[in-house]
Amino acid sequence: MKKAYNETWIENLHILNKAEHWSAKKLLTKEQLEQVEKAFPQHFYRPGIFVKIGLFIFTLIACSFASGFISMFIIGDGGQQNISIISLFCMTGFIFFLEFLIKSRGLYHSGTDNALLYAAMGAAAIPILSFFPDMQVWQYCMLSIAVSFAATLRYADLLAAAGSFLVLILMLGDIMMKFPIGKAILPFAVMILSALVYMVVRQIKSTYYYDCRKLIEILSLATFYLGGNYLVVREGNALLNDLNLPFAPQIPFAPVFYFLTLGIPIAYIFFGLKRHDRILLITGLLAFALSVYTYKHYFSPFTPAQELVMAGIAMIILSAAMIKYLHTPKHGLSDEQEGKRRLGNLEAILVAQHLGQTPGDDGNVEFGDGNFGGGGAGETY
Amino acid sequence: MPALPILFHGMNTQTILKAFVDRAVISDEQASIIADYEKKKAFSLHWELRSILYLGIVLFSSGIGVIIYENIDTIGHQVIIALIAAFTAWCFYYTYKHALPYSHQKVNNPRKLADYVLLLGCTTFLILEGYLQFQYNIFGTRYGLAIIIPTLIFFFCAYRFDHKGALSLAITGLASWLGLTVAPLAVLSQNDFTDSRLLATAVILGSILCVVGWASEKKNIKPHFAFTYIFLGGNLAVLAAMTGIFSDRAEFIYMLLGLTLSAFFVQRARLTQSLIFLLMGVVYGYIIITHLIFSNIVSADASVVFGTFYFTFTSIGVVYFLLHFKKFLGIKK
Repeated sequence: MKKAYNETWIENLHILNKAEHWSAKKLLTKEQLEQVEKAFPQHFYRPGIFVKIGLFIFTLIACSFASGFISMFIIGDGGQQNISIISLFCMTGFIFFLEFLIKSRGLYHSGTDNALLYAAMGAAAIPILSFFPDMQVWQYCMLSIAVSFAATLRYADLLAAAGSFLVLILMLGDIMMKFPIGKAILPFAVMILSALVYMVVRQIKSTYYYDCRKLIEILSLATFYLGGNYLVVREGNALLNDLNLPFAPQIPFAPVFYFLTLGIPIAYIFFGLKRHDRILLITGLLAFALSVYTYKHYFSPFTPAQELVMAGIAMIILSAAMIKYLHTPKHGLSDEQEGKRRLGNLEAILVAQHLGQTPGDDGNVEFGDGNFGGGGAGETY
Repeated sequence: MPALPILFHGMNTQTILKAFVDRAVISDEQASIIADYEKKKAFSLHWELRSILYLGIVLFSSGIGVIIYENIDTIGHQVIIALIAAFTAWCFYYTYKHALPYSHQKVNNPRKLADYVLLLGCTTFLILEGYLQFQYNIFGTRYGLAIIIPTLIFFFCAYRFDHKGALSLAITGLASWLGLTVAPLAVLSQNDFTDSRLLATAVILGSILCVVGWASEKKNIKPHFAFTYIFLGGNLAVLAAMTGIFSDRAEFIYMLLGLTLSAFFVQRARLTQSLIFLLMGVVYGYIIITHLIFSNIVSADASVVFGTFYFTFTSIGVVYFLLHFKKFLGIKK
């Protein structure tokens, strides 16, 4: 599949990022950085995140009303075939504008091109659904993987890549559910598929797919962990077998899943630190938090408040100790601040709004109101 | 699949360095220095550790709050108040002791934790005050006093210790003194804009905050605070003005104000290259103008047909504007 965006520019973009990093570390002089900018030019239109959001929203509005606009003329009797023809017509139009704007305006994941691609993919789904209304789930999955995988190859779009992977997992699940033995080994099948996908995408070195690769790494690590997580397996098992019990019953091979629930996050964190792989590390940290929750869910003798305090103390002590310990870099790890904070202004506002509401808000001055309730604790009192 | 082999060749540090040497950007020695740096550079855990610390503080304070609340009879109020007060005092003392001298400009404190401690102190001060009011009713029904005291303290801290978080807390306090919420995501859900007096207050306060932000840049007194003032104030004012437009009271004035503020945001974006203001200006302005046009069309049929035309072409127009905004706004770079 031919790539939609100018590959040389994308490579130059990465080279420039690298050069800027080196320049920030004083390994390149300002003049050398300017030389690099001249030697490796790129002319993409990449406005900031907020303009991208605006472009995305307004392009979606434009796409939906443009389809309405077109259907006003050719809707005819509003039959199935007419609607399918309109969708195909719109899809062609969206793809035409997508390609045209990429060429003429140098768009590169700038909001508008993302929106046009999704609109085209959405328009492609309508004829499929209306001509094949009674296919099996896995057959729909195959069709949508074909479309989104092709889109990923050509446009390296993140949502299309994530969609391909998640639909692949869904397809596996649907096929496995058809066999009695399939239900029992579903967790292992999900883990094996995730591991395979992870190993394959790790081999992708192309700069064009750099972001897609990272995203699929994250997702496959997550599904690998969730496939082995005791809580997910136990509750999922009860759900799939339609057991209407107040508590999900114990599952076979429980010790295996205890081991996986504890072992996978630790392995992620360990290898993340060892290989300097931030994706493994962060996925591992989040997985570890979910493992703690899993333990708490079935075995904890404490009240939620006590658990919060203990978790909080452990996290404060651990992070403060690590910050002190890494004051000078050790074992290839450091506590140095890297990169600038692009959204520092907004961060300050959100943190402050999150931490403190003045007493007397809403005219009620009750102790514990607002100050203690929130904060991602996920518990209601 | 024929496409797949293309996936598996890419570039890495060596190939980039080789390209630099080939184009005579850097010398061989410099290339080897950089390669050496890349091989030996440490893996930074800065943001991970900060996030865990922050989450830990949030979890801990949520949990301890509930525990204190549940055991208030056995622990005793004085003990708790003394503990919170001592902790708050320590936070402020720590900040004060390690503070750098005041300056109109941005002050960068090299102490890693100073910012966090001040924020923590401000938060516990609020808890302390809320506790005192709940237990001993020290302010009686003078809620205004209860709010304006921390607000003043936070404004002082924000300027003295150069802390945007404290400034944002102070603005929040000032707004709630007037009965308003300024949290960006809660402006519409938490404010009772059916009260027209409150609506007017919101527009006026928001506009004043914008002016203060604009002035701090003009007068060069903490110019980096301008964003906080204008973002919080502007959002409040425009959203209130829009509610005013929709609810038909003094519609014209609110419309004028809303459009002026939208234009002001776009102008800000032009001057400071802060593109969030461009987005705000364009989205708010678009909504207000659209409302203005459609509120004058009475017939339902006509508005459906016209609406399809209108949204198709205006949204394409906005996309065109955003694709060329630098040219339109005369931004050079």
